[in-house]
Amino acid sequence: MKLRVLSLCAFACTACAFDIDDFFDRLDTALTISAFHDNLRARLSGTLDLEFYNFEQPPAGLIISDVDNLFNPRLTLFLDAQIGSQIYFFAQSRLDRGFDPSDNGAQIRLDEYALRATPWDDGRFTAQIGKFATVVGNWVPRHLSWENPFINAPLVYENVTSIRDKSAPVSVFDFIYGPYYYEKYAFNPVIWGPSYASGISLSGRLDRFDYAVEMKNASLSSRPESWRVTESGFEPPTFSTRVGFRPNEAWNFGFSASEGPYFRREAQSTLPPGRDIGDYKEFVLGQDASFAWRHLQVWVEFYEARFQVPRVGDADTFAYYIEAKYKFTPQFFGAIRWNQQLFGDVSNGYGQSTRWSPDLARIDIAVAYRFTSHTQLKLQYDYQHETTAPGDDNHLLAAQFTVRF
Amino acid sequence: MRLRGLLWFNAVFSIMPVALWASAVVEGRVELPKSHTAPVQAKRYEIVTKGGVLSTQPPLAVVYLDGAFPNLASLPTKQVAQKDLTFVPALLPVPAGTKVEFPNLDDTYHNIFSYSPAKRFDLGRYRAEERPIPTQIFDKPGLVTLRCDIHEHMRGLILVLNTPYFVMTDTDGHFRLSGLPAGRYTLKAWIDSRTTRDKPVELKNGQTLHVDFP
Repeated sequence: MKLRVLSLCAFACTACAFDIDDFFDRLDTALTISAFHDNLRARLSGTLDLEFYNFEQPPAGLIISDVDNLFNPRLTLFLDAQIGSQIYFFAQSRLDRGFDPSDNGAQIRLDEYALRATPWDDGRFTAQIGKFATVVGNWVPRHLSWENPFINAPLVYENVTSIRDKSAPVSVFDFIYGPYYYEKYAFNPVIWGPSYASGISLSGRLDRFDYAVEMKNASLSSRPESWRVTESGFEPPTFSTRVGFRPNEAWNFGFSASEGPYFRREAQSTLPPGRDIGDYKEFVLGQDASFAWRHLQVWVEFYEARFQVPRVGDADTFAYYIEAKYKFTPQFFGAIRWNQQLFGDVSNGYGQSTRWSPDLARIDIAVAYRFTSHTQLKLQYDYQHETTAPGDDNHLLAAQFTVRF
Repeated sequence: MRLRGLLWFNAVFSIMPVALWASAVVEGRVELPKSHTAPVQAKRYEIVTKGGVLSTQPPLAVVYLDGAFPNLASLPTKQVAQKDLTFVPALLPVPAGTKVEFPNLDDTYHNIFSYSPAKRFDLGRYRAEERPIPTQIFDKPGLVTLRCDIHEHMRGLILVLNTPYFVMTDTDGHFRLSGLPAGRYTLKAWIDSRTTRDKPVELKNGQTLHVDFP
């Protein structure tokens, strides 16, 4: 009898899932409009993410919360529009509790908008202007909740260092021990998530090589508020580039570089006399590779970064991660990611050198189940360990339910 | 001797084309829905983007004779290709038990999958030149929606039927279904995932029946 009830439930769920898929397919059709014989087409789509985090204080990464359990819902809307074969426009707007998970109130933002022109059909050249994700590295194409095998970003994209962009440190000690005195949101990671800064980019493909170069108004480490063109100008701009090589569909290799000032305008008054925010830059070199075949996908990224810090000198860091995803069944997949970030030494002014931030290692493990082609549940566990400091280990549990439409 | 004669009769009978012994014909027209809007490809995070015109295939219907028919001994292998980031053909009717190949004719990866109850599978990512071409056998009647895990806009349909008697309409909705066995049946017109129209028909050998699905 129990078996029969279970079978009935399974059948009902399957039938329901099929209906849900059908409903979302019809919604997709309804939210796609066209005019001028399909030469102008626009599509509204989005995701609804319901996230739950459980962590120890202080929370790891860019989570900002005084309580150990955080519910973080997010509605994301996308607009994709195609005009003929050469013009493409997209925009992304979010309603959530902040760009990164936080216990703040609700806010609505226009995170991305860009206009793209592709004059030749073979993709040799594309120009884009607007506010959009960086061309650096290989994480950006999978940073959205549906494509990302994890709930959070790799360590290098979210681990706040001793670098702060709103004020310059008054001494080496202030620089090194600042994180113990100031709140976490005062500091910056090497790359802040997908870095939706404003600017222009040129990109394209030549045979097995692809290239991209961008000029943006904010450095890779800059906070989301700095990405708006009304907040930060282009004086001086940040330049980033990536050159990719794809020997075949399975492999992809890339080399990235970025250079740009990382201080915000309000930091000017805290700089040494006669110096300007343009005198202190963030330099990033990146190497990435990816492999995909059948149900396996592997990504790896290495980053070497240098920050020019007033009254301190050059602060260097090296970070990398290796990430793998495997589909066990059509609907169930697992992922594992090993992250590490190592920090260089800076002179403390007394003839000694000190590591400017504790070295970190973190392992992320996630499993996900796609109930339908529009609904997905992810569960994740992170274990973070400070390898060169007596800091506590950090555990994080997270769950994310996504509805894609 | 008599047994050998019977065996010969069976052998000849089993390889005879269906059309030779089943000669009724149904023709008519199905009222088709309006053409779909061509999909919009999301290219937000692609460094390299090609032109943005995706082909759209006009809506077609599948007309089939519903009934209890013996399974065909051998079924030809069919293909649904991925070309220019679309499924070609976008709609493929097949009798249950058909093997379908999914060749990738693009210079990029595809990841074809289906969560439909009639067939659940995920082919993973495979290169255009990989052999053998990934295949699936569709042995359960029903509608199978094909999707690509990499290209969200791609969508294709395989309609798995429990009958060997089916035909696709042309773009105006006209159809002609020939070689049908005599008898009383239900003629069905599958129009989309929610719309299947049906009409009872009585077929006689040598007769051509006209049926419209308004």
